[in-house]
Amino acid sequence: MMNQENHMTSEKDMKTLTTVKSTRRRIAAGVAGASAALILSGCATNAPQDTWKPKGENAAKIDTLQKMVFPIAGIVGVLVLALAAYIFIKFRDQGQEIPAQSHGKPVVEIVLTIIPALILSVVGVFTFRTIFDLAKTEDTEMIINVTGQQWWWEYDYPAQEAQGITQPIITSGQLVFPVGTKVLLRETSRDVIHSYWIPALNGKKDAVPGRIHLLRLQADKPGIYAGQCTEFCGLSHANMRMEAVALSKEDFAKWVANQQKAYTAPAEGTLAKEGETVFLNQCARCHQVNGIKDATGKAVISAPDENVYAGAAPNLSHLMSRNTFAGATFDLLTKDCRSSVWDAASEEFGAKYLAGVSESCLNQKDLRAWLRNAPAMKPMYADPAKLKPTGGKYRGMPNLNLTEDDIDKLVAYLLTLK
Amino acid sequence: MFTPGSKYFLGLTGLSFVSAVLYMFFVNPSDLGAVALIGVALAGALIAGFTLLTRDGDVFTADEAVEAAAQPITPSMWPMAFALSLAIVLIGLATRPIVFVVGVGLFFGSGIEWAIQNWANRASADAEFNGFVRARAISALEYPGLATVGGAIIAYCFSRVMLGVSKEGAPIVFIVAAAFVLAVGVAVAFKPSFRGKPALATILVAAVVLVTAGITFTVKGERHELAEVSKADEYNIKNRECGPESAPSDHLANNNVSMRSSVAATITVEDGKVYAQLVGIPTKVDSVTVPRSNFTNILFRNLDSEERRLMVNLGTQKVAETGVVEKVGTCTQLTGKGQENVITITVPKPSSADQQYSFTVPGVTGEIKLVVP
Ligand code: HEC
Ligand SMILES: [Cu+2]
Repeated sequence: MMNQENHMTSEKDMKTLTTVKSTRRRIAAGVAGASAALILSGCATNAPQDTWKPKGENAAKIDTLQKMVFPIAGIVGVLVLALAAYIFIKFRDQGQEIPAQSHGKPVVEIVLTIIPALILSVVGVFTFRTIFDLAKTEDTEMIINVTGQQWWWEYDYPAQEAQGITQPIITSGQLVFPVGTKVLLRETSRDVIHSYWIPALNGKKDAVPGRIHLLRLQADKPGIYAGQCTEFCGLSHANMRMEAVALSKEDFAKWVANQQKAYTAPAEGTLAKEGETVFLNQCARCHQVNGIKDATGKAVISAPDENVYAGAAPNLSHLMSRNTFAGATFDLLTKDCRSSVWDAASEEFGAKYLAGVSESCLNQKDLRAWLRNAPAMKPMYADPAKLKPTGGKYRGMPNLNLTEDDIDKLVAYLLTLK
Repeated sequence: MFTPGSKYFLGLTGLSFVSAVLYMFFVNPSDLGAVALIGVALAGALIAGFTLLTRDGDVFTADEAVEAAAQPITPSMWPMAFALSLAIVLIGLATRPIVFVVGVGLFFGSGIEWAIQNWANRASADAEFNGFVRARAISALEYPGLATVGGAIIAYCFSRVMLGVSKEGAPIVFIVAAAFVLAVGVAVAFKPSFRGKPALATILVAAVVLVTAGITFTVKGERHELAEVSKADEYNIKNRECGPESAPSDHLANNNVSMRSSVAATITVEDGKVYAQLVGIPTKVDSVTVPRSNFTNILFRNLDSEERRLMVNLGTQKVAETGVVEKVGTCTQLTGKGQENVITITVPKPSSADQQYSFTVPGVTGEIKLVVP
């Protein structure tokens, strides 16, 4: 009888034990799973701004250096932490007597100074070499001026015979350049400090008002490389994005030819022509369209310096040749058309990009929303009642209270700006 | 109930709060000054709270603290210093701002010292203990304060010396000074007998030498070349030729290191010819492209044998009332042979076929196109 009871108890005990074990196991599995998920989430498949995937020689140099320094730093870090943990546990206070206090052991100290010094000098040699390589400018083949302002980037291309650029080109949001060419960006800013960073092509470089900072850029293959402003610059910092578009040399020449094309006014009697009139009335005071003329035939020069705090607004002469707008935050292309460009094989990419935005591919929804009420799409200081700090000038594009009718006309007109 | 320390901080809180209100009312309700004053008030209130809570942290054991019976009278120099500072403030108001600032500094310094000493004197009847109380309350302020003043005097005197001695002499002075500091340091570290009085005497002598040299060179002025440059600047600004309206945009450009270190382009005259170089690429070019409505620095370098100036021609404009068309532009000062000048330009309107911009150098043929897209 006793025996049996005993037996029963032990069976019950066994059961409890198993449950405890399985709960522990479940918790352990949960923790392991969660950490794995956390670690793997660092490996997103669609990560265009991944610093570990260099697509040009400058970024490759940084990557090579980083692949050497990271393991060294990692090993040293793990060793130091493990040693510290060992010491914390081994010598923890268990009520033992305080050992004799001594100071200094020259051999250990000298060894422990020399080893890090050696590691640092090896790392230092490679780091300095990379830094100097990335600062080199003698091998420049093409220059592009890059000007940051709240909250978009402007690019202008000085005339350069070697690149077939005979008149200056000006664009925004998407930086277009030829592959395999050593491009030098000359960065500056019109208002606050911004920072230009295309992770796949090079490190970042601040754009500082009053200064010209140089950044090398080179891409091995045609394609679009995404980036974003990396110096906090105010309200819409997060919406200040940019894309670098690398085209084959032939495609780049075509792009240049298109950017230098003269303005053709829409034909009389079309919706686009009415749109041009709306544009002249509403938009031309901020936005330049090169070659546009008013009803009397006089060339119209915009005056963003009188209306916008930074003194500039995007030049819209060839708006539909780029496929994003407002600091590369919104797509000018519909989703399908956009992925057909982004995911194109590199041989087909150029032709697809140069096709620009056609009527069927235009992202009507976002462009219309922008024209209807831009500050609702992207936070900007564009409330006319709150412009005192900037002397009545806007930071960003204001809501112009256009009618739907005007918006129809404007969209038709903007589509002609190829 | 109110401990001496908390009274001080409550006073500070009240004073800064009142100043903040006055400041917001009379000066500007929303700028940094108001924020700073309110910040001081908040910090004061916080510390006042702590001091009240901890009763100033004044915990003395029975044998440390001697019962306060009589007020010991210790001689104090602070009332005199305080009165002197008031006089200096008044003199400063009548003479030079710097005297006024020094007076205000002394005023607060001696006022605080006086208040703290008075407070400490009430701690007990034992002067030595009171001295300890005083030191504990104020040393943390005194040492950094004295160090700052000392550092400022050293920096000022040494910079006067460096500006005054000749270009060739400067490195020698620098080496001697550095070697002296090193030698004293080594002596203090390795020769125990040097510590104390001998070290103090050495440092005092050095201080006297430094201050004397500083005063001497302040009176004597900057070395010849530097003095010439600032005189030349004055001359050039007075003798501008490129138009009465154009304000000197490059005042003291010769001295402006930061501007010179970041120019978009360098324009050089050499052997009667002008050429431009863009920063980043050394090749000579004949056009410079600058972004619209943005400050852009252009460096002018004169390697010609005569004095030259760089003109920036920014097209023409019609004067609204009269209809007269006049040239728009600006220029650098006259720049001597082998010298450089920076000019900062901002062009609000793009260049076009009928508004062409350029850089020219009077007396020299050729021009550099200025393109604004
Ligand atoms: C007060 C000046 C101002 C006016 C008027 C104005 N805009 Fe804008 N616009 C801006 C600014 C500034 C931006 C840049 C905003 C940003 O990306 O942060 C902009 C951006 C744009 C863009 C995106 C361009 C690009 O390349 O990213 C389009 C398209 C545009 N505006 C169209 C128009 C049209 C059409 C009108 C007339 C109905 C108009 N704007 C009126 C200031 C103005
Ligand atoms: Cu930015």
